[in-house]
Amino acid sequence: MAYQPKPPDGWLKTNLRYYKHPGSWAWILHRITGLGLTAYIFVHIYALTTLTQGPKAFDDEMKLFSTPVFKVLEWLLFSLVLYHAFNGVRIVLVDWANGAKYHKKILTVVYGLGVVLFIGMGILMFREPIANMFASLK
Amino acid sequence: MYKHTGSRGSGAPGWVLQRITGLLLVIVVIGHYFVMHADPASGHTYAAVLERMHHPLWKMFDLTFITVGLWHGLNGTWGIFRDYKMKPAVSLTIYGVIILSGIAFWVLGVNTILSF
Ligand code: HEM
Ligand code: HEM
Repeated sequence: MAYQPKPPDGWLKTNLRYYKHPGSWAWILHRITGLGLTAYIFVHIYALTTLTQGPKAFDDEMKLFSTPVFKVLEWLLFSLVLYHAFNGVRIVLVDWANGAKYHKKILTVVYGLGVVLFIGMGILMFREPIANMFASLK
Repeated sequence: MYKHTGSRGSGAPGWVLQRITGLLLVIVVIGHYFVMHADPASGHTYAAVLERMHHPLWKMFDLTFITVGLWHGLNGTWGIFRDYKMKPAVSLTIYGVIILSGIAFWVLGVNTILSF
């Protein structure tokens, strides 16, 4: 009997099958980052409701979010934003602006810009500790 | 009812809007990040946030952000579920949860913005 590929059954298996194709990683990551950001928006909106409870409630909460661990997490969150945003722009360009012709170039520019912005944001966010580090070297 | 169960309807208007809101969000989210981290206080202290919140232009920015952001995120999430074959009852339940949670958190966030 001729080879019959088994049809994917179930949510998880359908997804795992896609992993076998290297080109679909861009798409998988777009989904994961999109879902991650959607989850973040919900937590974010809830966290900001302390604004209505006065200065003490909000500043107490922000003490936690200003600790080094959360600062790093906030920076890493930016990588989700950048990946999803620039990959999204790439999708639209390839599809609507005849970008398939320049596919490789767009990929390089768009992801390059993302890396530059990520590092730039890191410098912006951590400029004080970085400056202190260099000051202590003197 | 079948309109919402994922197997009928092209979904094209939502798909085009997904892209348009996405492009809008590039500027809004990346801008938001730079404003919130311009210095350690700008996104993390009551005083700095309130200074923005009393300005109508920032309110408009936040109202646009929460509306467009929630719509894009939840329409995108629904688009993911639409990829899978589901029983109509399951599909309708998921659709309901997405719509209701979207409305609830939109009201919660808008309430925060309009409190000032
Ligand atoms: C920052 C700028 C953004 C851009 C340019 C963008 C762009 C896009 C595009 C073009 C799609 C459709 C992908 C396709 O056609 O296959 C999409 C899907 C999606 N986006 Fe965004 N988006 C952005 C921000 C966000 C944010 C802030 C969230 C979360 C709140 C989000 C959540 C999602 C989700 C959940 C999907 C569905 C993913 C899928 O179908 O695989 N996006 N985005
Ligand atoms: C870690 C980085 C972030 C910080 C410190 C931050 C901080 C804040 C603050 C302080 C506000 C209050 C309004 C204002 O001051 O203008 C706000 C509002 C908002 N932010 Fe962020 N944000 C961050 C990342 C994000 C991301 C990644 C998204 C999108 C996925 C987002 C979506 C929103 C929305 C929709 C509002 C309006 C919320 C509401 O009406 O309750 N933020 N943010």
